[in-house]
Amino acid sequence: MDRREYLFRKIAFALATLAVVVTLNFFLFRVLPGDPIRAVIGRNIRISLETQAALRAQFGLDKPIFPDQFFNTLGQWARGNLGVSWSLRQPVGEVLISKLGNTLLLLTLGQILSIVLGSALGLVAGWKRKTPVDVGALTFSLVAWAMPTFWLGIILLAAGSTWLGLPTGGIVSPENVGKPLYTVLPDLAKHLVLPTLTLTILYLGEYMLIMRSSVLEVLSEDYILTAKAKGLSEWQVLKGHALKNAMLPLVTLIAINLGFTVSGAIYVETVFSYDGLGKLFQTALVKQDFPLLQGAFLLLAVSVILANMAADILYLYLDPRVRTS
Amino acid sequence: MDALKKSLFLFCMLALTVSGCVSPAATQPPSGVVEITAPPEAAATSASAVTEAPAATELPAATESPSAKPVILKIGWPGKPDTLNPAYAFLTESYTVFDLVYGGLTTESPEGGYVGELAKEWKQSDDGLTWTFTLKDGIKFHNGEDFTADDMAWAINAVMADPEGWATLANYASGFTAVKAVDPKTVQITLEKPISNMEYRVSFLYAFYRKDFEGFKTAEELQNFANDMPIGTGAFKVNTFDKDKGILILDANRDFYGGAPKVDQVIFQTFDNADAMVQALKVGDIDVAMEIPNSAFDTLKSAENVKLVDQPGRGLAELIINTVPANHDPAPTRNPALEDPQVRLALATAINKQDLVDIVLQGYGAPGVTIIPPSLGGGFWYNPIQDVTFDLAKANQILEDAGYVKGSDGIRAKGEVRLEFRLQYASDSTLYPRIADLMSNWWREVGIKANPESVDPDSLTAAVTPTGDYDLVIWGWGSDPDPDFMLSVMTSDQFVEGGWSDSGYSNPEYDQLYLDQQTTIDKNARQKIVWKMQEMIYNARPYIVLYYERQLEAFRSDRFKGFIESPLGIEISLSLRQVEAVK
Repeated sequence: MDRREYLFRKIAFALATLAVVVTLNFFLFRVLPGDPIRAVIGRNIRISLETQAALRAQFGLDKPIFPDQFFNTLGQWARGNLGVSWSLRQPVGEVLISKLGNTLLLLTLGQILSIVLGSALGLVAGWKRKTPVDVGALTFSLVAWAMPTFWLGIILLAAGSTWLGLPTGGIVSPENVGKPLYTVLPDLAKHLVLPTLTLTILYLGEYMLIMRSSVLEVLSEDYILTAKAKGLSEWQVLKGHALKNAMLPLVTLIAINLGFTVSGAIYVETVFSYDGLGKLFQTALVKQDFPLLQGAFLLLAVSVILANMAADILYLYLDPRVRTS
Repeated sequence: MDALKKSLFLFCMLALTVSGCVSPAATQPPSGVVEITAPPEAAATSASAVTEAPAATELPAATESPSAKPVILKIGWPGKPDTLNPAYAFLTESYTVFDLVYGGLTTESPEGGYVGELAKEWKQSDDGLTWTFTLKDGIKFHNGEDFTADDMAWAINAVMADPEGWATLANYASGFTAVKAVDPKTVQITLEKPISNMEYRVSFLYAFYRKDFEGFKTAEELQNFANDMPIGTGAFKVNTFDKDKGILILDANRDFYGGAPKVDQVIFQTFDNADAMVQALKVGDIDVAMEIPNSAFDTLKSAENVKLVDQPGRGLAELIINTVPANHDPAPTRNPALEDPQVRLALATAINKQDLVDIVLQGYGAPGVTIIPPSLGGGFWYNPIQDVTFDLAKANQILEDAGYVKGSDGIRAKGEVRLEFRLQYASDSTLYPRIADLMSNWWREVGIKANPESVDPDSLTAAVTPTGDYDLVIWGWGSDPDPDFMLSVMTSDQFVEGGWSDSGYSNPEYDQLYLDQQTTIDKNARQKIVWKMQEMIYNARPYIVLYYERQLEAFRSDRFKGFIESPLGIEISLSLRQVEAVK
């Protein structure tokens, strides 16, 4: 199979997946019990029955789900319009883009730190197997991995704000709200410390465990024995022969994790009142805000599918076995 | 929420397994930052003529000491306004801001009852159909323009003309036939028939700025208007509102007709997590914490320089018993034993409400009796009915006498009808599961089996109104300052799609009394009707009111003084006009 055919098949598969996700999304949210109008207004006493009916008509909810609402939505999407959020009364596209930046900032920092620290720790632990270093790193990783996000966040928040004077929430201090973020970098950094630390500790354990077992597996391979027999130093063996192969499972894990972290940031964002996508998803669900939910899931699906394609293409270069299969 | 979350999660898993999944590769610069920069009012201006402020809100004449550093008060709260547009604002937080930025003819007094806000005095005609309000002197909009009776009349007329657009205020103006400015100081409202809670109604009809609101052609256009920089007559004006970041900054209105506030700026900051908010108060990131959950309140007791505010509140939790008439369409689906008043009495007798308060609310509440909370109108609307006392032996006896015999499994039954009920509760509360747990234990001892089940609020609404497919439900309300709303929940015409009735209670006599209390102007006569209605509900037991929940808040006493408390906690809009920094 040549490279072009491989790419073409991957793209076709991605598009088909997207079509399925979009259709499923549309109907999934609508088979949920409950009334979106009531979800938006809550147990609210300010609004009469007539007004509710008017809102229902305004949102097109008085029409049948299929075909009217379905094709209406598809038509809007085809014109590049994700619709207007009912609960926020803002265009969905704008809302998503404004939150995406904030979430990516937090997640990128947290992931980079946990990947670097986690794999380094895993490498050392695997290399120094059954030493106190290994046992210590393993215990720490298992504990970190098992900790509830919410709980860890609160503990760090209490400790950090009391002893280090770090802020208790938000992205910037109130007086800096409205200024472009790059002009208030020190303030932004202060606000990022605790949420980033929380994310780092949470994900570090998993990377460490995978890296450690992967290193152990590679170290027992025959070619390692050969390398040792050639008289290479321990570090040369590790660097030249073990590390590259041990990285492959890690790449897969990073790929899977990055897909999950967008939604996984919900807890961290909630503890630290951080204005990002995770919190937006949650609000959209609670409010049964269909346009916002659809937009959010479209974003999630597209990014997951795109990233998946990127990983496939990356494998084409990283792993010769993919090329020849 | 659980079912919802589960299906979402399953879906995530599905999407991920289908596609493998990696990360979003995009690197979008953080945007969504609104460019708003308005320097805080610099020089202090002289306090404008302070007119007859009502007794309850008596303010000392404002004296300005030009200090170098602006006085900033920071308030943490768990919510945030959904919008600053009064046409489409659902959340309480929005109304807190409206009370600070806008003003209506009247406002609720901390002691219960109403006092003048924009209006100095008012009177009604003998037939109760015409209300005449006289405005205070020296009222100006934030932009310096004079506020006149014309502006007030225009605002109320706008709401009346477009009830669809003014979705959240239209109800307050229903039954108004005309509103006009008789002269620049006098507003006259005429009605179809007398309205007993007129002062309450006009307190929500804000004097918003005409030029901001007159250009909208459709209801949708009006509702999509963010109104992030509202122009009003209130003691504060908006400097910045960033809804996404949960930050609202208000500047003092130096020309406020009631005297300039003594703080220069107020910052509201949203905390998505109550423990974080409490922590922020402890370390001094904020000066006031509002709506603190009872589980977090105790941790503040030992905190230094923190003054706790513990007030009766207006929230209640109730056990809803399916009371839908058998001939209702659709027919109710329930255990028929619930139609037996003796079973209801036994259920009530086997609930230890004091235990619920002590265990579930950790003492921050009071046992519930009627659907009107005791704090309403300073206690005026609450009917102090003698409640049944908790007595398991007696509950057993009641069921025994009614012919329900214990079976081998300990569950009572009469013929085919077993005393086994579904006990559902809204999943968005952390308190309801504990209530359900405690109640099922007590009931088990009298031979009643309850099967607790957590249901997300939307599904619960769908199952309850008007489907009637439930037995027992635990849920709650936050009452309005006027008893009208809580009473309306029990009227027959509310048990329809989108209506507020969840018990299905239907009684023509009650419905008539509801209409009567709306048009009974004499306060004492209205109280009699309201008490009678509470009694009817108490005796029929569509609800067993479990408890009234207290309102818990706190502020830093080392930094600010002069807060006014009301049954709803710290009375924010009145407090902020007079609080000052502790020197």
